Amino acid sequence: MARRNAVIRVLLVAFCLLSSGKWSGAQTNTPPTRADALHAERAAKAQALAPHHPNALESGLNFFEDRAVFILDREGFYPKLGSITVGSGFAYGLGFRDRDLLNNYGAVDMWVAGSTRGYFAAEGRVRFPELAHKRLLVEGWAGRRDYAGEYFYGLGTDSQRADQSDYGLRTTVFGGSAGVRPFSKLIVGGSLEYLHPSVGRGNDDSVPDVEDAFGEAEAPGVSQRADFLRTHGYVELDYRQPRYPRQGGFVRADVSHYEDRTTGSYTFNRYDFDVRQFVGFFAGRRVLGLRGFVSTTDEREGGVVPFYGMPTLGGNDTLRGFRMYRFRGPHALLLQAEYRWEIWSGLDGALFYDAGKTPLERSDLNFDGLERDYGFGFRFNTDNGIIFRADAGFGSRDGPHLYLVWGGVF
Amino acid sequence: MLVATDAAAPRFYPDDPIWTDDDRAFDASGVGTIEDSNGYDFVANTFSNPGERRDVRAPNVNTVDELPDSSWFTNRIGRRPMSVADVVRGPDQRDGVDMAGWVVSGGKSSGVQPGFRMTDSSGQTYQIEVDPSSNPEMASGAEMIGTALYHAIGYSVVEVYLTELDPKTLVIADTAMMRDPLNGKRRRVRPRDLELVFERAARQPNGRYRVLVSRFASGRPIGNFRYYGTRPDDPNDVVAHEHRRELRGARVFGAWLNHDDSRGVNSLDMLEAAGGRSWVKHYMFDFGSILGSGTVFAQRHRAGNEYIFEQRPGWLTLATLGFYIRPWMRIDYPDMPPSVGRIEAEVFDPQQWRPEYPNPAFDNMRSDDAFWAARIVSRFTDEMIRGVVAKAQYSDPKATEYLGDVMIKRRDKVVKAFINVVSPVVDAGLDADGTLRFANAAVDARAATPPAGYTLQWFAFDNATDTRRDVGDPVQVTSPEGRAPAELLTGSDFIGVRVSAAHPDHPGWSSPASFTFRRAATGWDLVGVER
Repeated sequence: MARRNAVIRVLLVAFCLLSSGKWSGAQTNTPPTRADALHAERAAKAQALAPHHPNALESGLNFFEDRAVFILDREGFYPKLGSITVGSGFAYGLGFRDRDLLNNYGAVDMWVAGSTRGYFAAEGRVRFPELAHKRLLVEGWAGRRDYAGEYFYGLGTDSQRADQSDYGLRTTVFGGSAGVRPFSKLIVGGSLEYLHPSVGRGNDDSVPDVEDAFGEAEAPGVSQRADFLRTHGYVELDYRQPRYPRQGGFVRADVSHYEDRTTGSYTFNRYDFDVRQFVGFFAGRRVLGLRGFVSTTDEREGGVVPFYGMPTLGGNDTLRGFRMYRFRGPHALLLQAEYRWEIWSGLDGALFYDAGKTPLERSDLNFDGLERDYGFGFRFNTDNGIIFRADAGFGSRDGPHLYLVWGGVF
Repeated sequence: MLVATDAAAPRFYPDDPIWTDDDRAFDASGVGTIEDSNGYDFVANTFSNPGERRDVRAPNVNTVDELPDSSWFTNRIGRRPMSVADVVRGPDQRDGVDMAGWVVSGGKSSGVQPGFRMTDSSGQTYQIEVDPSSNPEMASGAEMIGTALYHAIGYSVVEVYLTELDPKTLVIADTAMMRDPLNGKRRRVRPRDLELVFERAARQPNGRYRVLVSRFASGRPIGNFRYYGTRPDDPNDVVAHEHRRELRGARVFGAWLNHDDSRGVNSLDMLEAAGGRSWVKHYMFDFGSILGSGTVFAQRHRAGNEYIFEQRPGWLTLATLGFYIRPWMRIDYPDMPPSVGRIEAEVFDPQQWRPEYPNPAFDNMRSDDAFWAARIVSRFTDEMIRGVVAKAQYSDPKATEYLGDVMIKRRDKVVKAFINVVSPVVDAGLDADGTLRFANAAVDARAATPPAGYTLQWFAFDNATDTRRDVGDPVQVTSPEGRAPAELLTGSDFIGVRVSAAHPDHPGWSSPASFTFRRAATGWDLVGVER
């Protein structure tokens, strides 16, 4: 009896093992059921588990998204990278910002940077962009700008490239502004600013300094320095869609009064008017952009407009077939047309045409005698704007020019 | 399932076809977190071609070419009838949410849609998301629709509900933490953080905000799954994802619903535990960018039509200075309420549809995968679709009507495109007396006209050696039925029939579907299907 019971127990155990699904591939080559076969495969993997090891690309991109972005865009101390002004060259320095001022309603930003072309600047700025339910913008700033190598070719439409000279413009500035948004796309505002500029020698030894090449008549303000109190009013309508526009437009008018607080000789008004319109077609993947810009000045109280306060044309965002600040005068007219086509998401090609002039007389603000250029370019972009572009300009009387720029044109 | 075994393994095991794959059998508590960044997911899938591209039958299908239930997929509308109410209800376990007593418990950890987290009095966590002010109801509506449909299809999804919220009533828990968007550091949630969320949100005329409430799934989040490879630390994950039927077939569902965001970073892996053992459950996640919704803006024109980076059209466009116009740029979308976003059905071509960037599982989709998915899509009736769209609660009836129309048209196109790529013969049954009956899925779905007839070739099958022997000559029948040769009924334990048809519009029908039957006590059981 006991022996029979033992045999029965052995048979029962064997039956249970075979039917429990705990069969292992090590016991026999062919599993009895599909479920057993799957179980065996998983059992084999269970003996050879390994942690996930991200590869270099994964680690790098994860680091960039999780950490590096915040290094470049961090709160507190941050690396200041980019240009200080048009033509300054690449600049680098240190900044400090707090965009969480007063519970996210304000921001403070202070930075100091130097550029590859010897430019230097330091600035502190406090902004409250969205007070009173986003209807009020208030801002204050103070800074020092040391532009070491600005170029001057003479005034008016007849200036020659061979007359290139340079100068340094060092300015201390502080001021404040306020603007009101009657509705989201329109802002009306004004500012008060005190400027302490000083013209000196430039840092390009290959060309003469402006004070050696030009006199007071050809470059007003070169022989005397003056402080200015600038009062300024503006109206801006921005209906671009999106910020790197595929349709919509932008209109801005600025009126500034520069009061010479030192000599009384350089008091003047300046009026700027900038209109841009964008027409998109084929789902906004083809865009025609048009821009018209007019700037005009007039002397006040018997003074003259200092040359460094006059509008300029030439460079990566105006006449792209010419050097930076190639043309300067008390008045300026600029017309630009650009056709952009999307090659891939984030990369556009562009064909452009620029025309403009800087006449000495306001009556010459017409379409006669315009300097012209044309060219092509590429824009790496997002909806918020152009990150980087390359523009090659041709057809000007100064020869071809290539511009590589962090930032947009219009 | 088609598991690699040694040469002595039979083609059909005694338990075939299996309908449940026990991929919870081994403890997976040692798994780590895999959370891909958007940048890596894009770069890896666009430029490095991850995973294996191979024309191989999905290894995780059973022997009748269907999917067993698993941690990845639960057969629902594909296997059993579902009522309209069942489809509409989706994963929801309750009729709605009552936010009384809820507190804000954290910020939103990922995704572009603004939001935050809340916890109810029982400790259950929810994610709260708002619609963009430019397109009220758009993203939340898309989420409601996508969740219900993907649930009915068979994927695991989280419960989602719509409700209204008054920001003034929100209470922030003392322990609520978030990642500061300015510096990436964790800090306490402040009232201003919530103000910034609602500043970007669509506000209703009554001053409240419509929000999407997503109930956190049970378990511990461990990141996302990838559409290629396997988790090296999960013992249950043995089938390369680029070859899984439910991931390959998701291309068809993605085309139908314009789920251009079908990518690994929009999935969710949760580690669940019970009885001292843990396993990974895989969720489809984040349907804010389906149909006409691009989550925070209307769907872009390119979405569903071209990858973000696609070589040929780009080089053509560059070389022609933009004179080459991609076809999708010419699509004229009707003027619809902003809650619809941007979607249409007239120009839509399911065969040409693609997600934002290459997806290895989608690239591996074969005709049999597509057929399986198309059959599932064909089961969604007009009433089900309109019922699900109604669940999105668009305030403008024009939006409800248009989206329903578009989804029905896209369904019809998807079914017609993919159900005819192989022989659509299904549901084969063999009586004890040898009478064969079968159905035509394409004809039943009104995606094709009936053929003039079918060709049947009977065979005997040796399960031990995996060999077939044709019996008799091919037989022509004019209706979906036939009779097995008498000698076949007595000679073998496994017999089968290959069924093909000729249709002038569908050359794929000529490739036969093969059905194998195993002798059972009361007749013959279907044990194998091949297309």
